[in-house]
Amino acid sequence: MIRVRRVLAVLVVLAVPGVLVVSAVPAAAQQQALTPVTDTAAVERGQQLLVAQCGFCHGANARGGSGGPDLTRSTLVLSDEDGRQLGEFLAVGRPDKGMPKFDLPRAQVSDLAAFLHSSIYQNSNRRLYKILDIVIGDAKAGEAYFNGAGRCGTCHSPSKDLKGVGAKYEPATLQARLLLPRGRNREPGTVPAPLYTDPTSVTATVTPSSGTPVSGGLVRLTDFEVTLYDATTGQMRSWLRNGDTPKVVVVDPLQAHMDQLPRWTDADMHNMTAYLASLK
Amino acid sequence: MIIYGRSARTVALCLLAAALAVVPVRLLGQIPTDSWPTYHGDYSGRRFSTIKQINTGNVKALTLAWVYRLNTSRTGAIVGGEGPDTPPPGTPPSIKSTPLMINGILYFSVPDHVWALDARTGRENWHYAWKTRGGDHIGNRGVGILDNWLYFLTPDNYFVSLDVATGKERWHHEIANMKREYFSTNAPMIIGRQVIIGVGGDALDIPGYLESRDPEAGNLVWRWNTTPRPGEPGAASWPDEDSMSHGGGMPWIPGTYDPELNLYYLGTGNPQPVLSGKSRPGDNLYTCSIVALNPNTGKMAWYYQVTPHDTHDWDAAQTPVLIDGDFDGRPRKMIAQASRNGHFFLLDRVTGEHLLTSKHIDSLNWTKGINATGQPAHDPAKDASVPGTLISPDTSGATNWPPPSFSPDTGLMYFGTRQTFSVLYLTDTDGRPQGWAAAERNVGSVGNALKAIDYKTGKVKWSRLRWGRAEARAAPWVC
Repeated sequence: MIRVRRVLAVLVVLAVPGVLVVSAVPAAAQQQALTPVTDTAAVERGQQLLVAQCGFCHGANARGGSGGPDLTRSTLVLSDEDGRQLGEFLAVGRPDKGMPKFDLPRAQVSDLAAFLHSSIYQNSNRRLYKILDIVIGDAKAGEAYFNGAGRCGTCHSPSKDLKGVGAKYEPATLQARLLLPRGRNREPGTVPAPLYTDPTSVTATVTPSSGTPVSGGLVRLTDFEVTLYDATTGQMRSWLRNGDTPKVVVVDPLQAHMDQLPRWTDADMHNMTAYLASLK
Repeated sequence: MIIYGRSARTVALCLLAAALAVVPVRLLGQIPTDSWPTYHGDYSGRRFSTIKQINTGNVKALTLAWVYRLNTSRTGAIVGGEGPDTPPPGTPPSIKSTPLMINGILYFSVPDHVWALDARTGRENWHYAWKTRGGDHIGNRGVGILDNWLYFLTPDNYFVSLDVATGKERWHHEIANMKREYFSTNAPMIIGRQVIIGVGGDALDIPGYLESRDPEAGNLVWRWNTTPRPGEPGAASWPDEDSMSHGGGMPWIPGTYDPELNLYYLGTGNPQPVLSGKSRPGDNLYTCSIVALNPNTGKMAWYYQVTPHDTHDWDAAQTPVLIDGDFDGRPRKMIAQASRNGHFFLLDRVTGEHLLTSKHIDSLNWTKGINATGQPAHDPAKDASVPGTLISPDTSGATNWPPPSFSPDTGLMYFGTRQTFSVLYLTDTDGRPQGWAAAERNVGSVGNALKAIDYKTGKVKWSRLRWGRAEARAAPWVC
């Protein structure tokens, strides 16, 4: 039933463009034009070379310095393949603009290119960005917030459910789960189980006009249908909806976290993260 | 008849156009009832159809007529392109294009593919497959058609023209450098003899531009840079030449057009580097702006920036919708945008005069308030930081590319909204940050809803929570 209705929904969108309003969730980017540099030794040699030979004008990270442009944004560098175009350019330079020629061996030009291409790839691929040291908050202030304004102690205890939580998660995950511990901790690159199968999922209870109420993880709720996931059988159950029939009551087990989301200040969040990180 | 102030001449033109096989050039602001010849159906961006056969009384009786499963195999397809014979690995594409329908044929696209299907049967008339060199395959908004020719863009930045009847390629031109991480997703918009296209890309701090191309040979007619060059108007909103010439502002969604004013309205993309403004202090014109351009020359008539100095990836690419009606007791020609930054804007589309700003989600937490010119004021405290900054909405925004609708009958604008939260971590602390410069960890949403806004007041008239998949995270609700 649910499959057919989904197809139907698509058909309605196509057939009645006047009411075309669909999901506002864009998909993640799928691929890039640039490819990673795999020879890390060459990248390291290239970096040393850049600092020694080019850094004075172009900066120690090639992003531009006293008089020299940002090489990581250079179209010439971007078009370069394994140092070929870069080598041709360096052999001549651009003396009229103060860029002298450099007589570098072929292997060194290749290393230099490896470093530049590696930097550009890192800059351009936000999925590779490394989160820095984020635990800068005041753990004592976090503890006070836990027991005070945050009212975290209503449900949680540092000696029970939160025991050792600071050792269990790396800080950015800890901070994310402080905000909303929905779903399991996901390893990067893995596909998580559907949220409705998780104990922290929003649930709904459907009461048909005849029959007993049924509860389960909420899969889908529209004006036309409601679908639940029954964890005991692993099955989906759907009902057509007509106004208030059947009755549907939705409950979020993480309601306190949801209510708190708009209330957080960044300082309270950092302090709480420092406090939780100290629970080792 | 829904459109205000239209004459019998317009109707006659529409009928004539239908008889000749409708082409966009003749569209003056009303969607035909037997075709869908542009991305928006017409030029207004309203996506409002006068068709009455399907209505609230019978919509639930609609049943499945046919399904076409996307055939992306090159076997049996008309194949073009400059890339290798083996397609790159990738996930199955999703359809983000609005299909055009002309003479009972649907024309739609995903990255590297265009199809023509019989709208009555779903039978494939032809399939064109592009051999890609690469580039971000995030989506494709669709095709443009003028007379017997179809136009579309590819992820590796080619502007391609096909024969509408057969799908055979006429020519292709490269419009941007893929190595700079440009990629193209836009649906060509055709105004008169101008085929207007734009580029995309936000990974490597590159400048955005819009182009008009000649429909016969595909050659450049004009180019409008979305950011100024030194000495040009707007240059003072950037610190130096380097920042403005790497400042982003990608025009990646088709705009709208008023034939009487001969102005093309476009929402521009966000500035770059994306999540750090350290190297680009200033308003960063003309990013995150609604601009009015002369489609014959590419000259800008006016602009209004909806997010000065954006640091959250909230482009203003969302369709600016033409509204004709009363405002403050007198008739006006207006333009409205439900913007990704969580605000609704209403402008006079003749002059660009600001009329109204309102919030269309409640959870947004990033602005110091609305300034004297109706713009949300940038709050540096809500920029990405090393220990993390909690923002709402997340970088995908309070709304995004899925187009809005406007009904002249109700005076309401309809669009999807998100009340998501995420944490932004500054990862690039250099004085010259690059690319995105920060990482994002998504948290969840306190309620995603379909909303209807009254353009006269900017107030949300009604709101329907949306539940499903990851969005099933909102507050408890008894339905």
